[in-house]
Amino acid sequence: MPKLVVDGVEVEVEPGTTLIQACEAAGSEIPRFCYHERLSIAGNCRMCLVEVEKSPKPVASCAMPAGEGMVVHTNSPLVKRAREGVMEFLLINHPLDCPICDQGGECDLQDQSMAYGVDGSRFHENKRAVEEKYMGPLVKTVMTRCIHCTRCIRFTTEVAGISELGAIGRGEDMEITTYLEKALSSELSANVVDLCPVGALTFRPTAFSARPWEYKKTESIDVMDAVGSNIRVDSRGAEVMRILPRTNDDVNEEWISDKTRFVVDGLKTQRLDTPYVRENGKLRAATWDEAFAAIAAKVKAAKPERMAAIAGDLACAESMKALKDLFDKLGSANIDCRQDGAKIGGKGRAAYLFNSTIAGIESADALLIVGSDPRKEAPVLNARILKRWNQGHFRVGLVGEKRDLTYPYDYLGAGASTLGDLVAGKHDFLEVLKGAKNPMIIVGQGALTQKNGAAILAAALKIAELANAVREDWNGFNVLHTAASRVAGLDLGFLPGEGGRDVEAILEGASKGDVDFVYLLGADEIDTARLGSAFVVYQGSHGDMGAHRADVILPGAAYTEKNGTYVNTEGRVQFGRRAIFPMGEAREDWTIIRALSAVLGQTLPYDSLNALRDAMAAALPHFDAVDMIVPAHDLPSVSDADLAALGDDTSPFAVPVKDFYLTNPVARASRVMALCSAEFGAAPAQAAE
Amino acid sequence: MSLFSEIFVWWHGQTMGTRFYTWRKGKLMGTDDQGNKYYQASDGASIGGYVRRWAIYNGDAEASRVPPEWHGWLHHTVDVTPDESGYRVKPWEKPHRANLTGTPLAYRPSGSILAEGVRPAATGDYEAWKPE
Ligand code: SF4
Ligand code: FES
Repeated sequence: MPKLVVDGVEVEVEPGTTLIQACEAAGSEIPRFCYHERLSIAGNCRMCLVEVEKSPKPVASCAMPAGEGMVVHTNSPLVKRAREGVMEFLLINHPLDCPICDQGGECDLQDQSMAYGVDGSRFHENKRAVEEKYMGPLVKTVMTRCIHCTRCIRFTTEVAGISELGAIGRGEDMEITTYLEKALSSELSANVVDLCPVGALTFRPTAFSARPWEYKKTESIDVMDAVGSNIRVDSRGAEVMRILPRTNDDVNEEWISDKTRFVVDGLKTQRLDTPYVRENGKLRAATWDEAFAAIAAKVKAAKPERMAAIAGDLACAESMKALKDLFDKLGSANIDCRQDGAKIGGKGRAAYLFNSTIAGIESADALLIVGSDPRKEAPVLNARILKRWNQGHFRVGLVGEKRDLTYPYDYLGAGASTLGDLVAGKHDFLEVLKGAKNPMIIVGQGALTQKNGAAILAAALKIAELANAVREDWNGFNVLHTAASRVAGLDLGFLPGEGGRDVEAILEGASKGDVDFVYLLGADEIDTARLGSAFVVYQGSHGDMGAHRADVILPGAAYTEKNGTYVNTEGRVQFGRRAIFPMGEAREDWTIIRALSAVLGQTLPYDSLNALRDAMAAALPHFDAVDMIVPAHDLPSVSDADLAALGDDTSPFAVPVKDFYLTNPVARASRVMALCSAEFGAAPAQAAE
Repeated sequence: MSLFSEIFVWWHGQTMGTRFYTWRKGKLMGTDDQGNKYYQASDGASIGGYVRRWAIYNGDAEASRVPPEWHGWLHHTVDVTPDESGYRVKPWEKPHRANLTGTPLAYRPSGSILAEGVRPAATGDYEAWKPE
């Protein structure tokens, strides 16, 4: 391990570390524009120059490996002068438009010119001007500001996996472009804005709306998919202005999907801000008391077995816990959190978790994807798979819909029959999995929502067993969820109890008149037409399918407006935090259920968020292990009978995410998401249907 | 102006002292279209090397009522009065208006709570869902 001295501090670093990292380790900060930990090294901005003794010139520390016995100075007069020179060159052609630039206040160039900028210009020639480039509805360009660090190019090729950005021309004529003036077709495209050190790439939807120092910053969790990306919610007053990623190497690294980022305008439209009660067929704004009284009248009249509850995809664990406890007290077992009808849960925790963990993808060496399109279902997770693929010696097999996943894969087949072949050893991809040290299997909702989903799950477990993917030191069996609430719901047992109805049976019962009372906790992705004449209570934040059908509407809080617990697909418990208050009369969801329980005479035993969380943690200890993975080892064993149910079904797997930009009520309320949906269209598979 | 207000009020027209001084030393140089009168010291008395010049307002003593043509003369930017230089108001020039800040006629941007009409959309507004 090389030892070197940086500014008089001796550090020892891993071999292969770059000088810039060694300097950071020694506590000396190095200014930079092009270098980024998660991208390849370009070494073209020259801002990171340092002085190395016995070297004739200052060296670019980001492109120089740390060597044994180097003596580095990072703040000598030579270094300062060198960096000032670099800065002066960068500023020759950089416009002086900070006052009208959206990057102002969080601009690397602005910050670093405070330290290395000289006070005047020695250049009297005109500055160069570059035409704006079209990069789609999300990324706005002011290319005159570009300093050609190439971070955006490296990101789109290496992380997003699309080769749609590049540079043309040389020297002063260099331009960053999409070549064909087309939108960036990646679900991660807006991360280039975070990466761009200057204001060349900015957010189009939120252009000119606020300055970075005006925001209140709240660290929270995203609910657009089941990855649970760590986000920072920037709010001003009573309005969420933007959402940025927060670094968490175990989950989303530094990236978030475009849906996560730009769904903010959906938080301001179609909001439910007052309770409604249906009278004479018309919804009328009501008070909380009236709404609760209307519900109480129906609940008192209904028999427990004729009541049901469905939890939606964005529900927090607290609200599901409260609703489950309420229904337990009412004596009803008809509850379900699997809106899409996935056949999962109840068989042990490991059978529905992403056991390898997202970071674990990097140590896998063969991957079988069953009925999933990770690119649309969890773009950030897909970026991890691409990252692993880029490292080489990684084979991916796909069973399901043929999609562009940004990396090549072996296409094995469309549906369950291929899985049967794999189990029977009739397919040679099984040998690939067997030959791998850490084989990995991802089962998606496209497979689990099939009628024989349970058998498909069993077959996937069997393949994992055959490939020796589940061992003491490695668990390669993974389920990729699409709903942020799903794992918490399964953990809490928000599932039909003894003799209870699942979602399908609830809808069936309601349309036949066997179910009189349905409580929808933000459940909008069900076929509301099948609710028949049942009395429907909708609790949620947005007026979507559920609200239109509801007989009583209880306005709840969106995810940025409440303190909620979410469990991501890995089983990682994370806290979302409140950035702003709920709109109008709306309340945090668990408090609504708690208040309703008192009206129904079944008062729930918790009066504060902490009491409720304690109750959750008492039943499920892993709810106390916040931000951590509690490995589950309870994979069920697979019997031949389970596999036999696979039958000889040749139908292809379903596609759970038809339109990436419109998967939940918040996204459907967002104009920006509608724009994206129009620009990129629904997933190609839908067009083929 | 009534003698009464000239004795007790200093923000209107002239004070007794100014009237006396103007009577003794003032040479009337001209009158603008609002009726403000412009004087110059007849004996060439100067302050800081500049001949003393002053205005007596026809009404409120508000410095911004001086129109631009007289402003130039009053502040020694030019030496000839507009009358002497044959100053003519261009057809596209608006009539001079005093600074109205602090008066009820002051300009209020749209969005000011003092302006009439509706408050424009502001931060924190949202669109509520309405059942149809
Ligand atoms: S657009 Fe931004 S990120 Fe891309 S090369 Fe230019 S400065 Fe770098
Ligand atoms: S950061 Fe080293 S050259 Fe750009």
